[in-house]
Amino acid sequence: MNPLSLDQPWGRGYSALHTHAFADGSSFATNATTSFLPRGLGRSYGDVCVNDGGTLLHTFRRDRLLSFDDVHGVLTCEAGASLADIAEAMLPYGWFLPVVPGTRYVTVGGAIANDVHGKNHHHWGTFGKCVFEMKLRRSDVGLIDVEPSDALFRTTIAGLGLTGLIEEVTLQLDCVPGPGIEQDTKLFGGDGTIDGYLALDEASNDWEYTVGWIDTLDPNLRGVFFRGRHCDGPNEWLAPQPARLTMPMDAPRWLLGAWSAKTFNALYYRAQAMRTATRETIPLWQFFFPLDAVNAWNRAYGKRGFVQYQFVVPTAAARETVPKILTHLREAQVASYLAVIKTFGDNPSPGLMSFPMAGTTVALDIPAPDEKDRRALDRADAMVADVGGRVYPAKDARMSAAMFQRFFPQWRELEAARDPAISSSFWRRVTASQDSAQ
Amino acid sequence: MKTGNVVPMHATNVVVVGATSAVAQAATRLWAGRGVELTLIARNAGELERIAADARVRGAPAVATFVGDLTDTAFITETVRTMTVPRIALIAYGSLTDSARADSDATYLASELNANFTSAALWAQSLAERMAADSAAGGTIAVISSVAGDRGRGSNHAYGAAKAGLTAFCSGLRARMAARRVHVVTVKPGFIDSPMTAHIAKKGALWATPETIATGIVNAIDKKRDVVYLPGFWRLIMLIITHIPEGIFKRLKI
Repeated sequence: MNPLSLDQPWGRGYSALHTHAFADGSSFATNATTSFLPRGLGRSYGDVCVNDGGTLLHTFRRDRLLSFDDVHGVLTCEAGASLADIAEAMLPYGWFLPVVPGTRYVTVGGAIANDVHGKNHHHWGTFGKCVFEMKLRRSDVGLIDVEPSDALFRTTIAGLGLTGLIEEVTLQLDCVPGPGIEQDTKLFGGDGTIDGYLALDEASNDWEYTVGWIDTLDPNLRGVFFRGRHCDGPNEWLAPQPARLTMPMDAPRWLLGAWSAKTFNALYYRAQAMRTATRETIPLWQFFFPLDAVNAWNRAYGKRGFVQYQFVVPTAAARETVPKILTHLREAQVASYLAVIKTFGDNPSPGLMSFPMAGTTVALDIPAPDEKDRRALDRADAMVADVGGRVYPAKDARMSAAMFQRFFPQWRELEAARDPAISSSFWRRVTASQDSAQ
Repeated sequence: MKTGNVVPMHATNVVVVGATSAVAQAATRLWAGRGVELTLIARNAGELERIAADARVRGAPAVATFVGDLTDTAFITETVRTMTVPRIALIAYGSLTDSARADSDATYLASELNANFTSAALWAQSLAERMAADSAAGGTIAVISSVAGDRGRGSNHAYGAAKAGLTAFCSGLRARMAARRVHVVTVKPGFIDSPMTAHIAKKGALWATPETIATGIVNAIDKKRDVVYLPGFWRLIMLIITHIPEGIFKRLKI
């Protein structure tokens, strides 16, 4: 569980008041005096996992693995099971999750509700593509089976937890040769474009995982490109090293300005450039979840927290629009550490409200955004919308209702499928002025 | 590729009494991952079936279940007689007694004392006899008592007294069984963040997760420890608490 507060999302800087309940079905079905929101591990950055004034239904400890078909790699589990737990339990038998986000501390239910993606989107698509079947508890009709042919399947995947409490899930696991990742590292950029990144990405089709880190504060847009594929490794790698570091305190404000970010990014680039071995075998935990090695790393962004800004623009617009947006944010002096760039494949999700589309996505961490930062992000929203892109709800805490409705014009379909007893702060915020986008 | 951890050769069957408790579930997962056979016992059939399924997926080659009232003498006797002889047993159930209700409700007080002391002692005794009688290999029984048993406190006198009885029983049983190759581990956890304590809103640094406690229990069994405080800092806290003079202690609101 988020060790800091159940009332805050992972991005912090947010205060909400909740009632807490165990997600055991009975509390959800009978009590109609409050609005509910299913909550897994609370790792969403913004308010999709917040229900201010309402009740959080904690799926905590509803985390049993119920059956596993080791011929086809099909697992049925309770939706509160974390990807960390599944990966640790199944890796010794040669199985891993086909899609993992940047942290393993998310539940299966949360991964479905946000239809998360990973470094292999161009191969596998989103998490929702691994799902065969769900058991969904609705406040109006009770426990129901939901299969891909059902309308509720489409709205529940990437449905932000609004269509009901996901109780059980049947999903596909991926057969892997062992606990290692063969990683190849290359430098790109320096010319103010993302052409170098795009060329490397295109040349990496036989690599299952690709991702870039880009210094958005450098006008030359330098970056580091990582690609990886599964391989075997020593048995000690089967289990992750326990986190040995805990962020002991909130970082002070003076450490979080644009200058610190610039220095940090420059040092990081230099460290990568100086490494002699560009091809190495590392534990898969280190490749997929570098930040999980530090407990409560969100405290590094200080008491006022941070927002993460992740957008995607379609393939045709990427080459031109991505540098344009990054230049805009740099000129507006929006501080950002460790921006991540990734190309999504043409792998549509079954989810109605799924974020990824064929194109290029960039994610930026922005500590303690002030008014100036927020205005700059609003402007970036418009640039994304103008080329038919989207901003990621799972990480959002700020986009306007009008923008959300431009990014996801299909949102009314989710509203129609929403369980009447479920709501979230995010949903109330982005659907508030419903006619502004018409 | 599965190599697992080093399993003591005698640990072929592990029985968990009160298998639906949070600590028991966490310990069951550790044992399942080691590939040992399990016998799980609890009252709630539906939950027990899920926990058994979970253990199978995680690597337990065989999982047997017994459903019944854990505090019922006939059920205890019959279950221990018919189960596969375990080499390891964990007795992991308990009920956090509401002291205010126990003040005026004698039937409730009696059933709580039975749940936390009498029945747990019966499980330990009959499992020890079965282990000793069946094989020269012997076995290990871990019993979850509590730091609350180290001194009766005004805020939970009935729970503390039952756990004090259980601690004393385990100490005596350990001595009785030493020559017959059955070892008894007394486990004294502090505050555990579990469904049993879900109603307590404010939880600070003294609270441990069921996973932490379970890891401590499995280690204590592997190392055949006699008495363990979990986490270990509770030994120091209880040392201080047991040395406060009674004249002062009775006035403390703890």
